[in-house]
Formats: sequence, C-alpha cells, structure tokens
Amino acid sequence: MKSSGHIIWLTIGLVIFLGLQPGIIYAKAVKDTRGICLECHSKKAEELTNKAAVHQPVKDGKCTWCHNPHASKHAGLLSYTGSDLCYNCHDQKKGFMGKVVHKPVEEGNCLSCHDAHSSDIKGLLKKAGGEGCFSCHPKESIINKKNVHPEVKNGRCIVCHNPHSSDREGLLIKDKKSLCAGCHPGTGEVFAKAHLGYKVSGTDCLGCHSPHSSDKKGMMKASLHKPFEDNKCSSCHPVGSASVIKSGISLCTECHEAVLAGFNKINSHFFIGGGADNLCNNCHNPHASDEKYLLKDKEARVCYECHNDTKEYVAKSNHKHPKLGICSDCHTSHGSNSQFFLTKGNDTCAMENCHSTQGKFTHPIGEKIIDPRSKTPMNCSTCHNPMGSPEKAVLRFEKDRELCEQCHQM
Amino acid sequence: MRYKMGIKNQKFLLFLLCSVFCILPFATTAFSGDKGGVRTVAVITGDEIMGRLKQPSGLFFDEIKKRLYIADSGNGRLVSFDSEFKYMAELTNEAMTLPSSLVRNKEGHFFILDRGKGEIVFIDLEKKVVKSFPLSGVSSAKEQFVPGRMAIDADNRLYIIDKLNRRLIIVEQTGAFVREVTVKDKGFFGFTDVRVDDKGEIYAIDAIAGVVYIFDNKGGIVSRFGSRENKKDNFRFPTSLAVDKNGLIYIMDQHAGRILVFDKKGVFQHAVSRPGVKEGELSYPSYIFIDKEGRIYTIDGNRIQVFQEEKG
Repeated sequence: MKSSGHIIWLTIGLVIFLGLQPGIIYAKAVKDTRGICLECHSKKAEELTNKAAVHQPVKDGKCTWCHNPHASKHAGLLSYTGSDLCYNCHDQKKGFMGKVVHKPVEEGNCLSCHDAHSSDIKGLLKKAGGEGCFSCHPKESIINKKNVHPEVKNGRCIVCHNPHSSDREGLLIKDKKSLCAGCHPGTGEVFAKAHLGYKVSGTDCLGCHSPHSSDKKGMMKASLHKPFEDNKCSSCHPVGSASVIKSGISLCTECHEAVLAGFNKINSHFFIGGGADNLCNNCHNPHASDEKYLLKDKEARVCYECHNDTKEYVAKSNHKHPKLGICSDCHTSHGSNSQFFLTKGNDTCAMENCHSTQGKFTHPIGEKIIDPRSKTPMNCSTCHNPMGSPEKAVLRFEKDRELCEQCHQM
Repeated sequence: MRYKMGIKNQKFLLFLLCSVFCILPFATTAFSGDKGGVRTVAVITGDEIMGRLKQPSGLFFDEIKKRLYIADSGNGRLVSFDSEFKYMAELTNEAMTLPSSLVRNKEGHFFILDRGKGEIVFIDLEKKVVKSFPLSGVSSAKEQFVPGRMAIDADNRLYIIDKLNRRLIIVEQTGAFVREVTVKDKGFFGFTDVRVDDKGEIYAIDAIAGVVYIFDNKGGIVSRFGSRENKKDNFRFPTSLAVDKNGLIYIMDQHAGRILVFDKKGVFQHAVSRPGVKEGELSYPSYIFIDKEGRIYTIDGNRIQVFQEEKG
C-alpha cells in the first residue's frame, strides 16, 4: 500500500517535471500542426516548402518540434536556443564533439550555415559550397595566389575539411599523411621524378606544398630552404634516403652557427623539445613554409603548442592587444635577457613607433619611478597586461578608481 | 507600525545566525589557508648601495655560513646577504657573464651556470680561482651538452640538467660523470628545474608537460604527478620546485602566480601566496628555494621575497 503510494507520487512528479520541459510532451504529442500554423503564417508556406531541401519536421508539419505555440522566453517562440534545439534530434555525440570543433558549432550557431526550414542547397545550407565558408574565411586570404588547388577553386572545401568537428588540426577529415593520397596516390614516374627519387609517400605533403594556392610551381610553399630550393637534398640527406647525415641540431648549426649565440641568454628556448628528432624542427620546417623564418605553421600556433595556457587565457580575455597572434612583434623566440623574452625589455612597447609617446604624457614610468607595491621600477606592464584583460585598454584593474588606488590612497 | 516577530520567525533567525557562526570559522580558515598563512620575512629589490636587481634568475641559501646568494643575471654578478638578508657584497668576474643557477659545496666553492657562455663556472674565493668547470666521462648523447639549472646533494655531488638531451647528469666535485637520469615517457619535454634531498632522492620538473618526477638515488622513478590540463589544482606553467624538510614538494607555477604544495604521492596539500604585485604576492614568479628552516625564497621579476609559513 505504502509503495503504491510512492509510485503514484513519483508518476505525478515525473509528469509535472516533463510537462515543464518546453516543447517535449506537448510538441511530440502533436502530429501535424502545419494546417493550424499556416492559417496565420500563410506567407511562409511557399517559402518553407517549395525548395529543394526541406527540414524533415517542416515537411511533416511538426512546427511544434521547435516552436512553442503558446509562449516562450526565446525569440521566434523557440523551445530552446542555438544548438540546444538542434541537438534534440541531431545527436551531438555523432560528429559534433571532436577534439577540434568548428567555431560556429562550438558557439551553438548552427544557423550561421544552415537554414532551419528549407533551402535550395543540400544540407539546408544557406550558401552553396565554399561560398558559405568564404563568408567567414575570406576568399582573398585563401585563393590569393597564381595556382589554385582545383577543389578550392570549385569551393569544395569539404573534400578536405569537416565543417562540424574533427580530431585533427584544421578540421581535416584525415591525418596529414594520408589526406592527399586519397586523390594523389604518389605513384608513377612523374611523381618520383618531381621528388628527385626520394621516397616521400607516407610523409606530410603539407610540409612542402600549399594546399590552397601558391605562386610556385607544384603548389610549393612561398619560402623554401636554400638547399631545398637548389635541389641540393644531399646537403642534409643521404642520396635517396629520408634519413639525415647528422644527428640533432648539428645538422642545422653547421650552416647556422651564428644562431646559437641567440640562445645564450638569461631566458632561453634552448629547451624546446617535443616529438621532433631535431630540436630546430619543433618550430621550423626544414624544407618549405608559407610563414617567415620557415616556421612550420602560423606563428601563434607554433608558440601555443607549448604555451597552451596562454592560448586559453587570451581566448577568454575580453580585451586583447591587437596582432596578438604575431608573437615575434614583442618576443624574441630563441632567447632574451629580458623577462618574458621581450625583444627590447621595458622599451618593447615603444618599438617601431607602436607606443612611442607612452610614458611621456601619461603616468611616468622608468627606472626612477618605483611601484610602491613591488618596490620595482614601473613600466607599461605595471598597469597593462598586453596578453589580455577584462578591462578596456588591457588595463590590469578598472580604470576609474581601482587601478589608481593600487598605489594612490584616496 | 511595529513588526512583531513570530516564534517561528525567531527560531528561523536563530537557526540562520547559528549556521553563519558555525560556517564562519571554516570559511576564514579556508581563506587564510589559500593565502597560505604566510609571513613575509624579507623583500629584496636592491637599493642605492647595491643597485637594483636586474633579471635575477637563481639563488641559493648556504646553510653552513647562513648566507643568501643571488645570481643577479642582468647585472652579471653574484650578490650575497647575511642571515638577516642585509646586503654584504657582490662578486663580478670576466669569466662570468650571465650567472643563473648556482650552488655552493661544503668547502665553500661555487658552481654557477653561466647562461651567456652556456657552461658551468667554478669559483674558489679563497684561492681567487674563477674557471670553467669541465665534465669528464659523460655518456654520449645525440646533442651537445647545454647545462641548465643545478642542485647539490649532501655528498657534494652536482645534479645538472642537460637541456638538449633531456636528461640529468650527476657528477662528482671533480666533474667526473657518475650517472645520468632520463625519462622515457611519451610527451616528456625535458627538465626545467631539479632539487635533491638529504636522502639523495631527486626531484625534477618538466614545465612544458607540467609533470613532477621523483627519482630514487639510483635514478629510478619513484613517482610522477601533474599535468597542464585546464583543471583545478593542475599546473599552468610550473617552472621551478623545492622540497622542504618534511618532504613536501613546493611547485612554483609561473602563470598562476602561486606556489602549490604536494606530498610525494602528488596529493595536493595547500597553496601558498596568491597572484599580484603587492608584498607577499607573486607576479609571474620564476624560481623557488626552501632552506632548512623552512623559509621560502622566491624570484618574481626583479624582486626576491622570503616567506615563512605560519604553522597553525
């Protein structure tokens, strides 16, 4: 008797709980409301259904799967907002939760690419092919060279990239070593001749070739290591072999000996070491690069590989220093005698006329102006955090009072 | 109009007050615990006599002579302080360009990492000898030897980080190679700092991976802990470590501006200090050292702070 009472109360509770969930019981129970809805929203009818691709609930007249006909706290009388609504039917675990997630997916902005009702383009896309991608990823930054990869030219970005999520950097659909092989199997005389007889199948093609566009023959990257450009592969490799003639950094320092001195500083990156056999290769590509100094990737990506906590800090900061991704604007990458590897110590901010007037008409800074809190000389970073801040002008504290009160009693 | 409080309301108010007074002591303890219950013993930034410190990057407290030595790297000198942290003297020498890590043996000889030359410098003040400290018999490795930070044990053996070869090299006072300590872990980047305790157990940290390693005196791994994953009590960028006489491990997390204390199994104990620039706070600290009396020495920017934990 007692247990049946519990069951009754549990059932009532469950019904009330589910009833409070917007659009679940009500929406699923109603089979076809299109007739009712279109009595008022008749203008929408044609727009919603007379297109090549129609969202299944729209086709089935199940407007209430997404909209609450009575009341909602969300615009458009939607039951939920953003991707929460979509994930009711489209399982988030299936294709939306890789290690790398496309930003609109991460932010729940499914509608930035898709139309919720209907579209003339497959996948309910708002724009066809690459045009949708180019809305955010400017075409001129991708197709800006003489030779363009045919798939890129045809706007078929999804041949290589997954628009939702992937376990690979760059949202690639396959790992770098097998991505290109899908279309370019790497066999035949022409292929072998182009690579001077070196066995390159199974290697990362993107190490030397630009996947989108290039001004160089064979879609080579913009900057080439001199021996590579001159086809003098044997400067580093035994003929026909991918192995190297010297181990470690000595392979590089034999030519670049002067670079070594740059590491002999108080703060030195003469430590960098991840997976690469040669420490130099942790940051540089020994063959080709689209970046300066033959960096193996975009500068910020190279730095953030180790400084991932800085990447997270920057990402969550409301206010950031412009050009934050170009680390070498302020930092020296090999070694520095200044804190934070700054290129010119406390004068770094005034470099190349970036902030040359600072400290002259603002709060005094310099060796003789002592921060009463730390008893050390004040510099720009006493008040500003160039890596990011919740405050405007990347100030460390709220500007009207809190910042000044750090030192000046009011 | 006067509000007359009912008995039920009075009881509720009483309950609320009791709850607040019960919770308050715990809340206060937790807060002071997070601050570490730490007293600042000294702050050293320099003065007109000694000049300002410039990029200090290492320090060592000599337990025999009770003196603090700071590697004032930017000024290319060593500066010494007495047991009350009053400035005593400075040492400069042409053979020493950018002194960084330093240790002193029982005989009073210094071994100093000179980052400018990428070598270790030996100094015998009594005999006025300043010279390079060559190593002999070091097992071969792929890369050239580039020394990093150092530690010294009770038997005067030096523990030197071999940066490019991602290993520790243990040598006698003569420079004779004893053994190497390596880690085969996938994702191991190399050691950033090293300490050794009285039992000869070795403590080292990999700042990039955010992992602390403890080795026995033969170089076998006793335990490892830590990560830089974005989770509570994990490291952001741990650059230095120290061990107190109770075997607790103090990790200096540069980007978090905090010292996190763990036992040997890696169980978090408490945090010391908090980020900031005021006295007692830490702004991008880079180095930590603990003496036998439990005083904690830190370097943040151009400032040395000495703390003493208040035992509750």
